[in-house]
Amino acid sequence: MFYIGIFFQYVSQYMKTRLEYRSDFIVEILSDLFNQTVNLVFILVVFGHTQFLNGWNRDEIIFIYGFFLIPYALFSAFFNIWDFNDRYIVKGEMDRILTRPIHSLFQVVIERMELESLFGLVTGFIIIFYAGANLGLELAWYDPILFVLFAIGGALAYASVFIVIASVGFWSDSKTSIMPMMYNIGNYGRYPVDIYNKVIRFMLTWVLPFAFVGVYPASYFLGKEEWYIFSFLTPVVGLVFFTVSVMIWNQGIKKYRGAGN
Amino acid sequence: MSNAIEVKGLRKEFKSYSSRSGLKGAFRDLLTRNYKIVPAVNDISFTVKQGEMVAYIGENGAGKSTTIKMLTGILTPTSGEIVVNGMNPHREREKFTRTIGVVFGQRSQLWWDIAVQESFRLLKKVYKVSDEQYNEHMNHVIKTLDIEPLLDKPVRKLSLGQRMRCELAAALIHNPPLLFLDEPTIGLDVLVKLKIREFLKEINEKYNTTILLTTHDLGDIEALCERVVMLDSGEIIYDGELQSLKENWGEDKEVHFQFVKPVQQAELEALPLSFPVIWEYDEKNHTYLAVIKDEGDHISQLISIVVTSFPIKDVKIHETSIEEIVRNIYETGTV
Repeated sequence: MFYIGIFFQYVSQYMKTRLEYRSDFIVEILSDLFNQTVNLVFILVVFGHTQFLNGWNRDEIIFIYGFFLIPYALFSAFFNIWDFNDRYIVKGEMDRILTRPIHSLFQVVIERMELESLFGLVTGFIIIFYAGANLGLELAWYDPILFVLFAIGGALAYASVFIVIASVGFWSDSKTSIMPMMYNIGNYGRYPVDIYNKVIRFMLTWVLPFAFVGVYPASYFLGKEEWYIFSFLTPVVGLVFFTVSVMIWNQGIKKYRGAGN
Repeated sequence: MSNAIEVKGLRKEFKSYSSRSGLKGAFRDLLTRNYKIVPAVNDISFTVKQGEMVAYIGENGAGKSTTIKMLTGILTPTSGEIVVNGMNPHREREKFTRTIGVVFGQRSQLWWDIAVQESFRLLKKVYKVSDEQYNEHMNHVIKTLDIEPLLDKPVRKLSLGQRMRCELAAALIHNPPLLFLDEPTIGLDVLVKLKIREFLKEINEKYNTTILLTTHDLGDIEALCERVVMLDSGEIIYDGELQSLKENWGEDKEVHFQFVKPVQQAELEALPLSFPVIWEYDEKNHTYLAVIKDEGDHISQLISIVVTSFPIKDVKIHETSIEEIVRNIYETGTV
């Protein structure tokens, strides 16, 4: 309860600051929307030529892409921690975090949130409904509930990878370029995993669980029964990976060395 | 009375990597890196009673900040025991931090972009302070520190002195029984310093707040602390009253004289003074330096006699700083 209260305190503070810098706010939303349009156009162009990709048709692939945007928007709104190492470890901002009575990761999350990214949800839903209508998908009464569970599971799976990478900074403060690379790998989750070879598929399922952000949960809504097990594993995988990543984070905190002043 | 801080055999080691020289060295570093284990804090023990105001001093790199960071739960000790407010700071961090206030002079606790009062409001929620508690306590704090007119300004628009006063107020929102201040007066002008010192004294009297502060300013310590813990190379080299530290090590005063006309050293030495004075000539500035013991009215005697004998341009009285005391102790070995 306390954490929910604090979360909304920070959100309201965030809104206030954002409204003060109105032009920044609008530019950010526009660039976000632009980014997503470009991605969408890219997909349409690519799949305009190939109607089928390893048994997936054009609309199914667009649907997966649309679904991917949902957990991805949640992730980028709340886990904006790609510069954690620079900002919090090298500059010693972690000192301040650690003197406050809230879990350190939670503080970093609420300090760094970028709520504009939630506009990705709108884009995602537009694409999902467009592709869904083309495919003539029907919704059962429990589908929205599953949708929410899958989306949150996917966002947690995505976040856990980045939390682990951020935690590496506690052990070694040398700069790594893993973060941007991970953003690239993360994008693989928006294509059907069976187009990749077995090793990559295994990696995307059990090591860097990006497939649980896009393909696997989306398969359920597309009625791809051969993937159902993976679809229903999404919330579980999200939760397990997230728990493990938080445990790694908690271990890392003990190794925090602080920045000298 | 219970102890606010109990530290036994506290130690913190850091690995320090050294790189070899040259390209060949860089390649060898890839395979095996040379490192030394350097103890930043070396088996120190001390206790601080509730309500005490203690100055924690030492030269840069002596291990002050590292100790404070272990006491506040930021760093995990390599070994040793810490009990602060009856808790282990690192293990029970979230519960523990509710009972302390922290001000790092060189790092802001406030949110940069938002108005000071918004920062206070957020912190009030974070520390679960009720409205009554907040109003009763903070109205007073805000008045004493004179930050009322700053409340609606964003932190980035404040001057250093204004910001420090707000930082101090922010650290006290939950009225903690223990306050850590790391260089709270660094870079501040005299008036702000005085205000902060007065304020600290007041909350110590009013709430029996324990205060541990690090500083380079002897004035801070004289105004606030009866007890001084001095650190050098990670070890405590002095723990006791400020008075005896100064009597033993900071007793000499230096008085600088600049004369209108050239004066011979022999003339100065011939002045009728009832106590020994050592005269030194500073060739660079063409001034004379009188070193005397800081006892009774020696300074005023010296100045009045010199002034009546020779016309002077300028007089400066120089007090021994913490750094000089530390250096003195360091040069002669033990306390």
